[in-house]
Amino acid sequence: MESGLQERLQEIIPPQELNVWERDELLEQLAEYEPALEKLVLAQIEIIWPVSHSLCFAFLEYLADGLSCLSPEQIPEWVKGVLDAYEADGLRAARTYMDDVENNFLCRLRGESGLVFDEAQGRLVHYLRGLSQRNLQLESSQALFTDTSTIFLPREMTLFQENRSNFFAYKLLLTFQWAFLERDIYCQNGTDPYELEHFFLLFDRPELAQEVYHLLQTVRICRFLQEQLPGLMRDGHALFQLLRRKNAGGEKDKRAATALFEARQWLLAKCSLDEYDLENSELEGILISLLDENISNKQVFEATTHFYNAFCGDAVSMETGRPLLFQGELRTVEARQRRLNRREENKQKFITALAAVLPPQASSVEDKIREDEEKGPAANIIESGANVSPMKSSADKEPGDKQHNPEDPRYICLDDEHIELPEELRELADEIRNDLGELPSFYIASASQMAGGQGESPQASPESREGQSLQGGITYDEWDYRRQGFRKNWCRLIEKKVTPTKGTFVSTTMDKYRGQIIQLKRQFEMMRTHHRFVRRQRDGDDIDLDALTEAYADVKAGFTPSERLFIRLLRDERDIAALFMVDMSSSTEGWVGTALKESLVLLSESLHSLGDRYAIYGFSGMRRTRSEIYHVKGFEEPYTEEIKDRIAAISPIDYTRMGPPIRHFTKVLRDVEARVRLLIILTDGKPEDYDDYKGQYAIEDTRHALIEAKNAGIHPFCISIDREAQDYMGHMFGEVNYAFINDVKKLPLRVPEIYQSLTT
Amino acid sequence: MEYKAQKIEEHFVKEEPFYLEQKNELAVALAAYKNGIPLLLKGPTGSGKTRFMQFLAWKLNRPLITVSCHDDLSTSDLVGRYLIRGGETFWVDGPMTLAVRHGAICYLDEVVEARKDTTVVIHPLADDRRELAIEKRGELLSAPPEFMLAVSYNPGYQSVLKDMKQSTRQRFVALELGYPNADLERKIVGHEAGIEEELARLLVRIAEMTRGLKDSGLQEGASTRLLVHAGLLIREGVSPREACRVTITQALTDDRELLEAIDEMVSSVL
Repeated sequence: MESGLQERLQEIIPPQELNVWERDELLEQLAEYEPALEKLVLAQIEIIWPVSHSLCFAFLEYLADGLSCLSPEQIPEWVKGVLDAYEADGLRAARTYMDDVENNFLCRLRGESGLVFDEAQGRLVHYLRGLSQRNLQLESSQALFTDTSTIFLPREMTLFQENRSNFFAYKLLLTFQWAFLERDIYCQNGTDPYELEHFFLLFDRPELAQEVYHLLQTVRICRFLQEQLPGLMRDGHALFQLLRRKNAGGEKDKRAATALFEARQWLLAKCSLDEYDLENSELEGILISLLDENISNKQVFEATTHFYNAFCGDAVSMETGRPLLFQGELRTVEARQRRLNRREENKQKFITALAAVLPPQASSVEDKIREDEEKGPAANIIESGANVSPMKSSADKEPGDKQHNPEDPRYICLDDEHIELPEELRELADEIRNDLGELPSFYIASASQMAGGQGESPQASPESREGQSLQGGITYDEWDYRRQGFRKNWCRLIEKKVTPTKGTFVSTTMDKYRGQIIQLKRQFEMMRTHHRFVRRQRDGDDIDLDALTEAYADVKAGFTPSERLFIRLLRDERDIAALFMVDMSSSTEGWVGTALKESLVLLSESLHSLGDRYAIYGFSGMRRTRSEIYHVKGFEEPYTEEIKDRIAAISPIDYTRMGPPIRHFTKVLRDVEARVRLLIILTDGKPEDYDDYKGQYAIEDTRHALIEAKNAGIHPFCISIDREAQDYMGHMFGEVNYAFINDVKKLPLRVPEIYQSLTT
Repeated sequence: MEYKAQKIEEHFVKEEPFYLEQKNELAVALAAYKNGIPLLLKGPTGSGKTRFMQFLAWKLNRPLITVSCHDDLSTSDLVGRYLIRGGETFWVDGPMTLAVRHGAICYLDEVVEARKDTTVVIHPLADDRRELAIEKRGELLSAPPEFMLAVSYNPGYQSVLKDMKQSTRQRFVALELGYPNADLERKIVGHEAGIEEELARLLVRIAEMTRGLKDSGLQEGASTRLLVHAGLLIREGVSPREACRVTITQALTDDRELLEAIDEMVSSVL
């Protein structure tokens, strides 16, 4: 028997892959099973072994427990799940999967699976945005943690059998991570990004100190949440009690572990409003001190030291037990890295944005600044003569000069001149100030240097470099915000035809959105109106003779006549012409491009039933000499098969130079007879071209082109597809003149909706 | 049916309306009133524009005539019209004429909803001429110094058809009434709904959360008015979550995901 097994094992696992005692261990484990079962297990080993040796050992380790609730026939299916978990997230995930057969496998088999992140994400994102009032991202990951810009939630929640409870668990986890950020447990409001990490290094066992710190902060957070979101904490009672029961039992008799354990249980009890008697009064003292509303991070530091010294001081090695489920992991390194990245991003953003608002400077000053820069970026600019400072030097300011109060963050001081920061910059400046404690003067210096136009400016590009002639096509001016004037005849715009492609794109799209198209058509048909007379009005343009005759007859007959004797012409006809300008830059390649095209199909179908006049053009191009627009559908062209094929033929080409096409279409729209003229731009990001047309310059030109359109009596509106709302959008399009869509999948349906809400 | 002409006495605000100032709006409005400049109130729905007008009317002790504008509101609806009765015609003043005759405050709520031809009467009233032409009677009314014109609109709507023309907007003193800050809003909701401050604070917290959803597809967040409604229902014994669901969540959107997300916010707070 024993030897037969050995042979079979040898067939599956070549002898050289296994040392003797490993083999003995395997054999020992296998020998415990019945022959039939043994065969089955061997078959599984054959599958798992090539994938991962350690997974195979882990499998055998968990199998014994697993068999207590699994029937042998279920084993192969279970192994599939194990392998899926392993391939998705590695050995640890596979172990977690095997650890809880009931929830991870059997529930799902009975159709009571857990909740996957993707299903909950939609709701959670909105919830998070509302909660945080800022643009925190949400992603799934193996662990629960946050890097301070994104909150990572586990891929799956299988704590409960019911998905509603699982969703609640997700929500609770998310809320705690948010609260960690909100109450700044990563110490991001201080100026030292390494503060937290350095603090932990003060201890013999930094990871233990970290654990203590995390737990104590969690105590504080629970207090905060009980006050801010009492409903959530109340709903959480069941979960807290469950965790407490799960936690109880099996604690090692080590001082630190006991203290941590006790603290955890105490917190869980507190959260579910139960009583929990702490035997150790010192521990109780520490924990209760954290329940103060106004406790600061510094006090938590002190409490951590106190806790550590009291309970972990002489501990050499020990199990600390698992942190509470909703704590997740405290990833200080990720948080610090993210913060430093953000600092760099903010710096760049601030410098370019400030450069845009600063007046160009005399070059002598810039030279001085540059010299200074070379000495070292943080060198104090003031000593070189050009007094560039973020309003810190208050000594020489007259007191009472209220408007230029040095403390006022709205102003910066440049060359003894006070410049007011525009709204969007102020926010950024505040963020930088929060991060660094002050606005570094070299930020302002760099910006003023950039504003001087010495850097990469469009002016620097000599005519000869792109000396191709501007002949042919139509030339347009371009706005240069630095000189606050136009560059005359700067861009050449060429109109091209789209070659229709025969294919199934349109019919597939129509199929895909069949239901929605019918609904859209119905909605759009309801918007149709025309000239019509309404009779029997109390008031109107003319007398309703019928009604008058009746009334006269009534009077003669002795009845009270009606008062509705007028006829009125209702003139609320839809007289709208809309031009859709579609981004065909190379960045729309893939999903975005398809969604854009799909939305054009849905839109055309809807507008067809509404009867509004519309035109569709694509735009792209490269350099100022070749800005191209692609004719898809003109105003007077009916929506035919040919047009459908042209829509299908729209494909990504080059870059996004928005100014020239906007100016061109402004001209086109101006010649269209309509009461309301709409220019709708569908794009996937900022304007950008191969040459210097990028950044602030491109944004300002686009903005100016849009203003020109507005002045011509055209309503521009932009639908922007982007991962997140960008600061420049409001500036470029005007606050209410754009819609931003972050989910490409929603675009096709959103575009007709937006059009509808725009024109009713 | 007897046509009852509106009496100006009915338009006096009898009791002091509850109003807490957000910033200096009262001082600005009083200064504008003193100098005969019309008032333009901007702000999201339910942020207290109408209430502010009532408060102002009470302060000035003038009658307040409110006209809710809609897309079929024509000049005659504002100025007045001839009616026929028993073979005779007689004239009935519209709300605007009534206000001008008696030196009242005429408040056009949501003015952008009105038909464009109403600007014909608004314009001469809103500049230094301050006169109202009643074409059908060949009458030209000059507004007394006590008369004030006020209009309101919500700049959050994106419809291009509902934009105010420059020639109109540049006749007004514009006051922006956003949502009050949390502290103030808590007091307002507490007082209006007659609920405890703590509950009011939580309701305000919910509103703040919904207002953060603008980039996620919610056109507008919950207004102060909605919070008052929620508070009133809670006071009547409706469970807090249910009250918020019917007054806030369902009122804000039809989008399923957003509905659920707002429900989650409510259940977190209450």
